[in-house]
Amino acid sequence: MLPKNRKIAFILTIISAIIGIMLTVQLRSNLHPIKAESRSVSELRTTLQKELEKHKSLLADISKYNQLFYQYETALDTDESVSVMKEELSRTRRLAGLVSVEGKGAVIRIVDAPPLPEQAAVDGDLMSGDNQTSYQIDDEDLRWVANSLFANGAKAVSLNGHRLISTTAIRSVGQSIQVDTKFVQPPYEFKALGEPDVLISGLKLEGIEENFQLANKKIVFEESDRLVVPAYSEQRTIRFMKPVKSKGDQ
Amino acid sequence: MWLPVLGLVFGIVIGFLLDWRVPQEYSSYLSIALLAGLDTIFGGIRSYLERTFNVRIFMSGFFFNTLFAAGLAFIGAFLGIDLYLAAIVAFGVRLFNNLAVIRRIILYKWISQKE
Repeated sequence: MLPKNRKIAFILTIISAIIGIMLTVQLRSNLHPIKAESRSVSELRTTLQKELEKHKSLLADISKYNQLFYQYETALDTDESVSVMKEELSRTRRLAGLVSVEGKGAVIRIVDAPPLPEQAAVDGDLMSGDNQTSYQIDDEDLRWVANSLFANGAKAVSLNGHRLISTTAIRSVGQSIQVDTKFVQPPYEFKALGEPDVLISGLKLEGIEENFQLANKKIVFEESDRLVVPAYSEQRTIRFMKPVKSKGDQ
Repeated sequence: MWLPVLGLVFGIVIGFLLDWRVPQEYSSYLSIALLAGLDTIFGGIRSYLERTFNVRIFMSGFFFNTLFAAGLAFIGAFLGIDLYLAAIVAFGVRLFNNLAVIRRIILYKWISQKE
């Protein structure tokens, strides 16, 4: 019986030892878990794959930002051409009369003249009273003045605050005169930017004073160093015309 | 009688000396095996107290239970079912049952000795 009992004790001891080993191993691995070896190869592979993809996307980002940087750099260069275009645009607008302009120039007013007694006496038989009162300033007179101003180098002309541009029409509509679509009433006043002396002497040379005397009007010239000519105020629509494309143009 | 306790101490010392570490993912297998081992030990003590102890049953129970518990946990992980929970619950319940029986037997012995 004794040997059997010993055998049992021996077996129990061995099993206890095994359990002790298991206990400590479990304890140790719970206290200090091994992290580096806890990943399998496939896990590592997928992680590597992910990192590679990240790397790739980062590379793509780099190239994207490089491209952007390049674009900004070239934009810096082309900035000049943009400013040139802007300058050109503003110059064109000025030439087309779409902006108010100022400078030195002359003001030409056509005002009623008090009838001069001696002149009336001199021209008495030529111009009877009926004649004088019946003669009115018409659109042609104003057109003539405007043309004379432009011919003498006026860069911008306005009539009673209406800017005259290349397509402006001055015409009689009934009893009144229209500039484009706006009615103008006497006294008429031209404002012209240009060399004042040239403008005034040019008009005088054309006989503007004599012409308007017939209508019993007096011309008042006024030189100004700082004259403001307003912008063209009406809407301009482009109709009936298209730019002709030559072969070289895109 | 003190030999198994000595063996336990001896095993603990060896375990500390060996410095084995189980990777995190296998730690659950070891824990369940440990639970099975403890269950077997207490079952052995109980059967010893009940005087129905059999070395072969004890030994085979120890190894079979340990391996089967670990294998169950492995299969559970493989299938995506937490089968090791079943083992833990079963061994836990048995552990407490065994402990209760052992306590009762010892108490009876003590009371009968007193009287």
